[in-house]
Amino acid sequence: MAKIILEVENLQKSYDGKKVVNGISFNVEKGEIFGILGPNGAGKTTTLEMIETLREIDGGTATIAGIDVATNPYKIRSIIGVQPQTPGFQDKTKLTELIQMFAAAYGEKVNPKKFLDEVNLGEKKDAYVESLSGGQKQRFSIVAALVHNPKVFFLDEPTTGLDPQARRNLWSLIEEVRDRGISVILTTHYMDEAEMLCDRIAIMDQGNIIALDTPKKLIKDLLKRGFTKKQQVEQANLEDVFIDMTGKGLRK
Amino acid sequence: MKRKLYTVKVFFIINLRRVFRDRMALFFTFLFPLIFLFVFGGLNSGNKSVSFNVAIINESKAPFSTFFIGELTKGKTFKVDKDITTFSQADEKMGRGELDATIELPASFGQTLPGQDHPTGQAVVHYTQNNQNAANTLTNVLQAKLQSINVHLVHTDTPLTVTTKQSNQRSLSSFDYTFTGLLGFAILGAGIFGPINIFPELKKMGILRRLHTTPLRVWQYFLSTMIGSAVVGLMSLAVMFAVAIAMFHLKVVGNYVELAAFLIFGIVMILGIGLALGGWAKNERQVAPLANIIVFPMMFLSGTFFPRYAMPEWLQHVSDFLPLSPVIDGARLIATEGQHLWQIGSQLGIMAAWLVIVYAVAFRVFRWE
Repeated sequence: MAKIILEVENLQKSYDGKKVVNGISFNVEKGEIFGILGPNGAGKTTTLEMIETLREIDGGTATIAGIDVATNPYKIRSIIGVQPQTPGFQDKTKLTELIQMFAAAYGEKVNPKKFLDEVNLGEKKDAYVESLSGGQKQRFSIVAALVHNPKVFFLDEPTTGLDPQARRNLWSLIEEVRDRGISVILTTHYMDEAEMLCDRIAIMDQGNIIALDTPKKLIKDLLKRGFTKKQQVEQANLEDVFIDMTGKGLRK
Repeated sequence: MKRKLYTVKVFFIINLRRVFRDRMALFFTFLFPLIFLFVFGGLNSGNKSVSFNVAIINESKAPFSTFFIGELTKGKTFKVDKDITTFSQADEKMGRGELDATIELPASFGQTLPGQDHPTGQAVVHYTQNNQNAANTLTNVLQAKLQSINVHLVHTDTPLTVTTKQSNQRSLSSFDYTFTGLLGFAILGAGIFGPINIFPELKKMGILRRLHTTPLRVWQYFLSTMIGSAVVGLMSLAVMFAVAIAMFHLKVVGNYVELAAFLIFGIVMILGIGLALGGWAKNERQVAPLANIIVFPMMFLSGTFFPRYAMPEWLQHVSDFLPLSPVIDGARLIATEGQHLWQIGSQLGIMAAWLVIVYAVAFRVFRWE
């Protein structure tokens, strides 16, 4: 069995007496992409924020690489990378400077150019972040979250608002991160994204995990229960048509 | 520890560069205080001697009257509005407060009466209700002028006289007060208005939240902001000093190193108020009313725009304890009175107390989002 990096047990959070996260448990293995799916208000973001040390844990435990999240927030922060929903960076600051600042926040000194090259932003090294496109900003945000080589990488709805090309580019970027041995935990509303990208997914509803497995297994289970689609599914969908006609290449 | 301070250094350097790329920040840091300096400095520079704005209406054709007007306009005491030739023009300007009084030399003024060998006559000072004080003083000045002429015309004994003599004691000009007040204003601007504008913006864009996911500590963030503000603030104050020395004849008699150290202390202490307000506020709307409640009393009672000695005594005692008052007083005591840091213990004491209070509050109320 693969090595477990994140262990969540009976995690709870309530606001004004209302349980938002209702004692959930799951494990994330080293080097996998783990997706948390669910409708709005299911408790996905709250769960992530508790593990990221941004919100107090009301009950239960979360441990990353054997370190307890609630009691060692600063140790945890130095081994995780976080990509928030809307990446915000201060203006009038060059990309190289922002990378330096993020590295410095972890007490590290890095070569910013090397990191920017990894995500095809080497040419933009002296640009300010406000001049980047949405996709470029997302790529920059990811590399900024990885300057300290974290063990776990959290992304909150990373592809919301991106065009199909930028989404695909981001997916392959996330897969590269996984292939470096970093565990990736992401939330998403897009089922195609979860199906193509995630090794395992947890589906949350009303603060509970109602299913947890590989996407394939979940689909197989559903079919076993005798589910049939109303309409015969074609072997391609509209997005496949769009990508076929416009190509996978990134747009500036 | 070395690594933690490295973090502070990088944040300080990069944010400092950012200030110099931001035209708006540059304007408010460097030009804005200078505008105030020119306005208030200009208002004050004419204050050194007493002068009156007058109109002279001369209806006399006597040569003495022309001579007398010449005498009046020689010095700087009378600024004569030469455009005015009639009473109606003069009344209008006096009504608007542009003239202090009108001096009338009637047709008989300066005529030599038959049987006499010297001119006689009476000048009339016209004034409006609001100018009574100016008119009284002006009348006395005219009286003295005429008296000195009388002595030459008719020989009389003057057994009792008065004369003036300047004391050697250096005294503060009103500009010294104005200037240190404006220093205080600039420190308020940089220390409070800066953070309360920047922090809510950083929170709105999720920038602080993102930093919160890193091991960065609040004290590291504060310290880098503090060093940055001290450096930029000191540069801005240095520009003000340079302009005041070059253009408004400010004389700095104190030690520049002590002055710089004192001003840095002042900037850092006032910055604590800005950090507390900006660090606490979730958005701009929340911070504005509270900032006004805190800033306005300091703006008006700490001696920024008018000196505190002009206030009622009880108010002076109360305003002694406002955070900005000891900064302004201390800057004046060092810069223009040449005192040393160990001589301004009470100012330093009040500032130190505020430093502890504001930073204790700032650390307690800081929010990353």
